[in-house]
Amino acid sequence: MSSVHFGIIPSSRFASLPQFVSCFENFQGQTPDENMASALSLCRIGHLQKVNLCPVLSTIQVRNNADAAPTSKTYGPLSDSDRIFTNLYGRHDWRLKGALKRGDWYKTKEIVLKGADWIINEVKASGLRGRGGAGFPSGLKWSFMNKPSDGRPKYLCVNADEGEPGTCKDREIMRHDPHKLVEGCLVAGKAMGAQAAYIYIRGEFYNEASNMQVAISEAYQAGLIGKNACGTGYDFDIYMHRGAGAYICGEETALIESIEGKQGKPRLKPPFPADVGLFGCPTTVTNVETVAVAPTICRRGGAWFASFGRPRNTGTKLFNISGHVNNPCTVEEEMSVPLRELIERHAGGVRGGWDNLLFVIPGGSSTPLIPKHVCDDVMMDFDALIAAETSFGTAAVIVMDKSTDIIKAIARLIVFYKHESCGQCTPCREGISWMHKMMQRFVKGDAKPAEIDMLWEISKQIEGHTICALGDGAAWPVQGLIRHFRPEIENRMKQYANCQEAVAAKN
Amino acid sequence: MLRTPLHRALLPCVREALSVSRASASTAPEKIEVFIDDKRVLVEPGTTVLQAAALVGVEIPRFCYHERLAVAGNCRMCLVEVEKSPKPVAACAMPVMKGWRVKTNSEMTKKAREGVMEFLLVNHPLDCPICDQGGECDLQDQSMAFGSDRSRFTDIDHSGKRAVEDKDIGPLVKTIMTRCIHCTRCIRFASEVAGIDDLGTTGRGNDMQVGTYVEKMFLSELSGNIIDLCPVGALTSKPYSFTARPWETRKTESVDVHDAIGSNIVVSTRTGEVLRILPRVNEEVNEEWLSDKSRFAYDGLRRQRLISPMLKVGGQLAPVDWEDALVSCARALVEAGPHSAAIVGGLADAESLIALKDLFNRLGSEQLFTEEQFPVDGAATDLRSSYILNNKITGVEEADLILLVGTNPRFEAPLLNARIRKSYVHNELDIALIGPQLNLTYDYTHVGEGPDVLKQLVSESHPFARKLKAAKKPMIILGAQQLKRPDGAAILASVQQISQKLGKNKDGWKVLNVLQQTASQVAALDLGYKTNARSILENGSNPPKVLFLLGADEGVIQRSDLPASTYVIYQGHHGDVGASMADAVLPGATYTEKQGTYVNTEGRAQQTLVAVTPPGMAREDWKIIRALSEVSGYKLDFDTLAEVRLRLEQVAPNLVKYDEVEEANFFKEASELNKDASAKLGNESFDVKLKNLEDFYMTNSISRASETMAKCVQAVMKQKQSKYYEAQSA
Amino acid sequence: MSSLMKFIGVDKIQKAIQIFQENGGLKASLIKMLRNDELKSGTLVGVDKYGNRYYENNAYFVGRNRWIEYADHYWLDYNASQIPAEWYGWMHYKTDLIPTKDPNRPHHRWMLDHTENMTGTSGQYTPYSTNRPKIEAWIPPKK
Repeated sequence: MSSVHFGIIPSSRFASLPQFVSCFENFQGQTPDENMASALSLCRIGHLQKVNLCPVLSTIQVRNNADAAPTSKTYGPLSDSDRIFTNLYGRHDWRLKGALKRGDWYKTKEIVLKGADWIINEVKASGLRGRGGAGFPSGLKWSFMNKPSDGRPKYLCVNADEGEPGTCKDREIMRHDPHKLVEGCLVAGKAMGAQAAYIYIRGEFYNEASNMQVAISEAYQAGLIGKNACGTGYDFDIYMHRGAGAYICGEETALIESIEGKQGKPRLKPPFPADVGLFGCPTTVTNVETVAVAPTICRRGGAWFASFGRPRNTGTKLFNISGHVNNPCTVEEEMSVPLRELIERHAGGVRGGWDNLLFVIPGGSSTPLIPKHVCDDVMMDFDALIAAETSFGTAAVIVMDKSTDIIKAIARLIVFYKHESCGQCTPCREGISWMHKMMQRFVKGDAKPAEIDMLWEISKQIEGHTICALGDGAAWPVQGLIRHFRPEIENRMKQYANCQEAVAAKN
Repeated sequence: MLRTPLHRALLPCVREALSVSRASASTAPEKIEVFIDDKRVLVEPGTTVLQAAALVGVEIPRFCYHERLAVAGNCRMCLVEVEKSPKPVAACAMPVMKGWRVKTNSEMTKKAREGVMEFLLVNHPLDCPICDQGGECDLQDQSMAFGSDRSRFTDIDHSGKRAVEDKDIGPLVKTIMTRCIHCTRCIRFASEVAGIDDLGTTGRGNDMQVGTYVEKMFLSELSGNIIDLCPVGALTSKPYSFTARPWETRKTESVDVHDAIGSNIVVSTRTGEVLRILPRVNEEVNEEWLSDKSRFAYDGLRRQRLISPMLKVGGQLAPVDWEDALVSCARALVEAGPHSAAIVGGLADAESLIALKDLFNRLGSEQLFTEEQFPVDGAATDLRSSYILNNKITGVEEADLILLVGTNPRFEAPLLNARIRKSYVHNELDIALIGPQLNLTYDYTHVGEGPDVLKQLVSESHPFARKLKAAKKPMIILGAQQLKRPDGAAILASVQQISQKLGKNKDGWKVLNVLQQTASQVAALDLGYKTNARSILENGSNPPKVLFLLGADEGVIQRSDLPASTYVIYQGHHGDVGASMADAVLPGATYTEKQGTYVNTEGRAQQTLVAVTPPGMAREDWKIIRALSEVSGYKLDFDTLAEVRLRLEQVAPNLVKYDEVEEANFFKEASELNKDASAKLGNESFDVKLKNLEDFYMTNSISRASETMAKCVQAVMKQKQSKYYEAQSA
Repeated sequence: MSSLMKFIGVDKIQKAIQIFQENGGLKASLIKMLRNDELKSGTLVGVDKYGNRYYENNAYFVGRNRWIEYADHYWLDYNASQIPAEWYGWMHYKTDLIPTKDPNRPHHRWMLDHTENMTGTSGQYTPYSTNRPKIEAWIPPKK
């Protein structure tokens, strides 16, 4: 093993480029394994430079130390050298050959051989938080699995059931950079001591599933996974399981049920999947993005990753910007980037200018909306958005301009949640239908202002009273609406009442 | 091998719930301290909040939770506040942690309950006035106790509540699915206890429905229990529908006689009519389940009844007064004297058995037989260990290997079978079977078809013998019907020998069990009845002059077997096989109409109580025999029930020790005495009488008279012709 | 003379003889007295289809001036319910027109025959339960 700890270079961002390149060269000379050597032969420095490093020369920036007071720091834009997903737009080859060119599978063997504790420490150091919405610290979560085995195998489940409206990051990874995920599975799997990974992919993602399957097969053929993965002596299998497109199957325990071949209905917790998960064995369910960034974190060091964003909200993140923007896109950006900058830099600004903005749903359909005055200076990270009474979610930014009928928009979301409720527990099953009925009337204005409070209370009766978070996700948009746009609803009711009176007077 | 859904099998609280009902030998782990409404309670780790609350007498409302089923946690009615937890927790599923302070009456808890109740009622029809569950409905009760006092539901569009098409799941369970609150208790019962995975949910969200997916009958012998389990009126009893309200009925605690298990029941009556039968909790016998025959055959108590004494006038039975009937019977008996014989059927109570036996002994006759046959060689029925279920029903839960020999417990004793399944699911019990391939509700090893396997097991040359030997607590359950075979004695002897070997060094663990089929058999044998009824015919030149049938309806002796001069007296409650061949009929009482003692297959004495009076001129059976004895001049010296029971106690003290099991002994001696018989094993394979579900419903004079049971048989036959029917399921 | 005869009651005897004669002689009169406990003389105003005979004699005071002699076959088993409806009105002074002379009396083919009150006789109406019997008795098979 090399004496150079390439993963914990003080931070490759601060290292000069020659140093960085020389690390690579050092390794290249010392790799004993044939597989690795053949893989690396594809990944010569020249290619790397062409693909990855050349932009670095022009855009490299020397930043303040991450320890410095966060207030004095600006976040974003992310330099190209720091991008993890270098084929996000599918302009390059997504297959193994292309992936190797981009640096995937590089030194994976060494990472795996460093062992679970090292990987977990690295992930802990990176401050990576789960990218699926809840934002649970990944290092901590993975370490739950790292208990001595009781004889049961352990499993890694990758949640590729990207069902949240507005979210389209995982599919980009899976169709354009599937090897990032395959490699991530191996690294994360090693960290947990898992025997196999199950990638649960949404049924609608046909092309993504195809690409994924091709990537898995390629990895098997190249000996990167399977028996003696990457020549490390570690056996690791990856299976892909196609779902049938139910939103609820993105919930971790419902996902497990679905893989087991049952109805996708969430289980009660406790016991948590880390104790009793897939097939009754310890299981961790993680988002695609979380897994896919893990190898890069290990390669470039947790501190590198931690240098982006504010403390506790570190790293880079895929943002999906959709709705009334000039250029809807998925983009990798630094955490804590201001929402306004994110929209204006990457999405070409709000349709009709920033002042035409009505509200933004910052983290996928289930997060409460924030009106324009909050959007002006909110930062896109977990803590800032919680302070703004919303949630970071999956970072799926849905932008709505002033042409939007906001009540109708939220009512449409409730239709979605009503349709996707699994029906297992009472508050969600009955409550969302009831909210749906009320919202349909609110759209017309056919209600009394007192009913707004009642709707608020009903949403509170659902929130926190259900087995899984779908109930919360359905209650939040309504709460956001009432919190910020109550006068709008009341106006609508007034108009309707006036209109009715006028009709009555005419008759 | 895991037989439950995995995460449920491993749920600590489920395991805990089970070990509560089971005697666990392991050392108790350290207890943890929690506070329920500031009341301190020490509980074992893994106890749920709901169980901990029950320990201090705080009842938490619930719909989906049921002690005997897996935890589903989907109704959310049991949400309670736990201090320092931002969200209320589901008490039924959440194991308590050390130092938790649970508040079952706080503002947050109340709000949560009100909210859930409101949601449940949003789509629940308010048809309580026409709902059969009214008065015993959990939703009614809990909405009164925990619900909000006013409605906020404004349906100004009149878009209506959810309406769901009713399902047809057979002639016993009526479904009104619009009332369903999706607690999934019925589904869990079907898959966990009944072992028939027929029920499930289809659809999502508000469109979720409980049902069978394709319309079919719920082919289970325990289907009636889902009626009791349903917390609302979605599943109600079809035969009982629109009959009565629970507050109108008088409840009598009694005991069932349709099989040899002796399930505890409650008989609901109104104006002298049995309206329905419900199970009564008895952890050692039926837990809280009841088989369909015991539950629904009650309409047979109203049909085909004998309501007046009858005598044959000109070759035709005609109603007469008691006086005439008694005088005629007494005259015949006195004339016959020692040449009289008696056969008792499966529904006779111990009181009438002792009265009949005393009367016949006074007449000088020892010819008293049970209808069920049992070998008479060797020790025969002299030693009690040879004819009872020695391990008791609860023994099933301790056993680790059960060998069924020539029996189908699923239909002969459905509740014993439910126990076996319970143990199979939760305790890793293994089951093996010698006999015809049966469809039990669990997997079993099919060891063989006939007695030859027994022979090999005795000599330990069969591969299965090793497994038996390795078992820590093996049980062998021998079906009593095999003992009717010509080689019955040999079968019993072989099984005794195997058990004797296995029982060595097992610390008092008994291995041998005989599963009886009728409710009266153990009491009759305890009282010294003989078992070879056919022998009265073999007595060629001297057939009985009087044959007294006490509820004997299985046709062991046909009229054509007897000379025309034999005077046949039938005493019983139904006009069935016995009454049809009788010269005199004395109308008796059914089990709901008399206070009688029954001993179940494990030797447990229990008594029925009078729920209704016998119809017409019918009387309690022991009183009829007592009257007959007086008319015939051999007066029995008891006048009251207490005196009869005193007499019972003289003969067999265990018969009046109610709710106790008198354990048997002398296993070794019985085995020794029977040893000679074991050589005569036949070659014919075992056969069981009740193979399929349609055989189960009509097995005695009451169930044969029941229209409901006849409908069940028809429905099963119809289901079997359906293209969706799989031979596996029933 | 006549007053003397009146004084000694000859006219009463004559009247009695007359009544005896009107009623068909001594034997018939005695039978009528046995059946009716009295013997009256009057005009026969009609006979109904059941054979009852209706008499009127306005010399008696009101309440006793109309009477019925029940048809012979009733013998002593007669009672007021044997008077058919059409004669009831005349008997009770609701009308002075006997049925045959009353033009307003409706006649329809669907009108039922009069039946007397059968209470207390074997033909009386006995209420019976419409409920299913609680217990169905076994009926021995016929041989």
